[in-house]
Amino acid sequence: MSEYKQEQPISPYMAMFEEFRKELDEHHDRRERIVKASRDITAASKKIIFTLQRVRKLGVPLPPYVNKSNEEYWKTIETRFREIAPDVQNVNAYRYPQLTWGNQEFMEALSFQHYLETQTLISYEQAKSRVAALCGDGPTVPLTIEDYVLGIYDMIGELMRFSITAMALNGNLPAGEPRKAPAGEDSPMINGEETAAAPEEPRNVLTDMRHIEQELEFFHPGPGTPFEKDVNGKAKVMHQCIGKVELANYSLTVRGKERPKGWRPDLAERPKEEDTRAEVETF
Amino acid sequence: MAAPSGLIAHGLFEDLQARTDEDTAIRDGLRDIIQTWEKQNRSITYVLSRGHGTPIAKLSELLKSAEEPLGKAVETVGKLAEVASKAPYYKFNGMWSRQMQDLVFQILFWGWLGGYENGGGEVKSGRLMNIEEVGEYLKVPVNLKDEDKFHLAIEEYLHALISLVEELARLARNSVTMGEYERPVLINQFVKDVLAGFQILNLKNDSLRRRSDSLKYKVKDVEDIIYDLSLRDLLPKKE
Repeated sequence: MSEYKQEQPISPYMAMFEEFRKELDEHHDRRERIVKASRDITAASKKIIFTLQRVRKLGVPLPPYVNKSNEEYWKTIETRFREIAPDVQNVNAYRYPQLTWGNQEFMEALSFQHYLETQTLISYEQAKSRVAALCGDGPTVPLTIEDYVLGIYDMIGELMRFSITAMALNGNLPAGEPRKAPAGEDSPMINGEETAAAPEEPRNVLTDMRHIEQELEFFHPGPGTPFEKDVNGKAKVMHQCIGKVELANYSLTVRGKERPKGWRPDLAERPKEEDTRAEVETF
Repeated sequence: MAAPSGLIAHGLFEDLQARTDEDTAIRDGLRDIIQTWEKQNRSITYVLSRGHGTPIAKLSELLKSAEEPLGKAVETVGKLAEVASKAPYYKFNGMWSRQMQDLVFQILFWGWLGGYENGGGEVKSGRLMNIEEVGEYLKVPVNLKDEDKFHLAIEEYLHALISLVEELARLARNSVTMGEYERPVLINQFVKDVLAGFQILNLKNDSLRRRSDSLKYKVKDVEDIIYDLSLRDLLPKKE
């Protein structure tokens, strides 16, 4: 047996390849951990969003049952972030594109919750410090501009579902609580026109969606990048979402008062958009 | 376009735009350098591909003449490294990884033929430059694990090594045509040694895996050549 082995001289490059194997194994292990964590974060974020869709009020703290039922999902996200944070430091910071799946979904959940609570759009810096807080004292998972922007695009879809459910159940478009006019700040926008800074009308979801869209339309990702492709695709979806809310709002205004409470605006009446009905009815 | 009070923090998207534009500027800078690099790589290929028709006696000269285009490409790598180091390495690495693999392959081929230790006279072929030697030649660090800087990655080296095996399988055939029967024997041993190395790697389902899967066919191609030579008693006799 040993004689047989001697007949096959060991490749002179074995030591080099053994070193490579060690490195590649570490790399693949890191990637596997990140893929798994990214999936878990995605699933937990989806569950958070699902619970948030049961909220009916805007600009007020979430009802206790929402926080309670989402607690475990936030905990999952925290645990996963902490697990993979060491894997995405220094030279490995941008090495694993799979990280972005979880990050985008997380951004969607985070920005949706933030909007429901405060009726404001969470900023990139706020979102990053939230991730840092979840990661605790250890290293922090990087959240890129891509993660942030694409998550916000998806959040608009959640605002669409939120608005349509609220309109169907309560018969009106969700708006914030009436607030006192802030001293000397921008004047509020109503029906697209600036009004005098008099007693402030609360903003509603639809005007907020339009404003976010306006801002996003001015944002240009690098030409020829995958980011640009993603943005273009999501921009189309976002525009459709706003259209759906506008249509529901129109139906509500024109015929809403004739219908009994609880009637759902029949979006399928609009031709071309066969998928509208199915999407709305999932909620 | 005044946003309603408080919805969107002032300057939020302007700030994101500014940061995105910075990346775009870096990307544009890199793209220019990479285009130059690509042309230089082609000039190296142009010279080295003559290796398939050059008898060993004249190889030294050919390898010398490859040094100038190789040097130019190395210079470009230096420029690229400077610009690329303004951003995290893996952020833009995909832009030049292909060119890097190409150049490293050319260096390995040149080195294998005998260019790396070319003292004039008859060259001695068969030497594989390891990743450190290639890094030294390119004047860039190799396989950085912590520091986030421009470097030559293991995967790039391995891709280049697969290309080298493919090129040598071709060279084995052409050597026979030129009447050089010793070289296929050298190549046969070399590609087997490389294949043995690849066989201990746990490759995942990526491009490296797919390409390394084809190595065994290249090894077989060379074996067939050896078989043909032995059948006709053309193999050089072992002393």
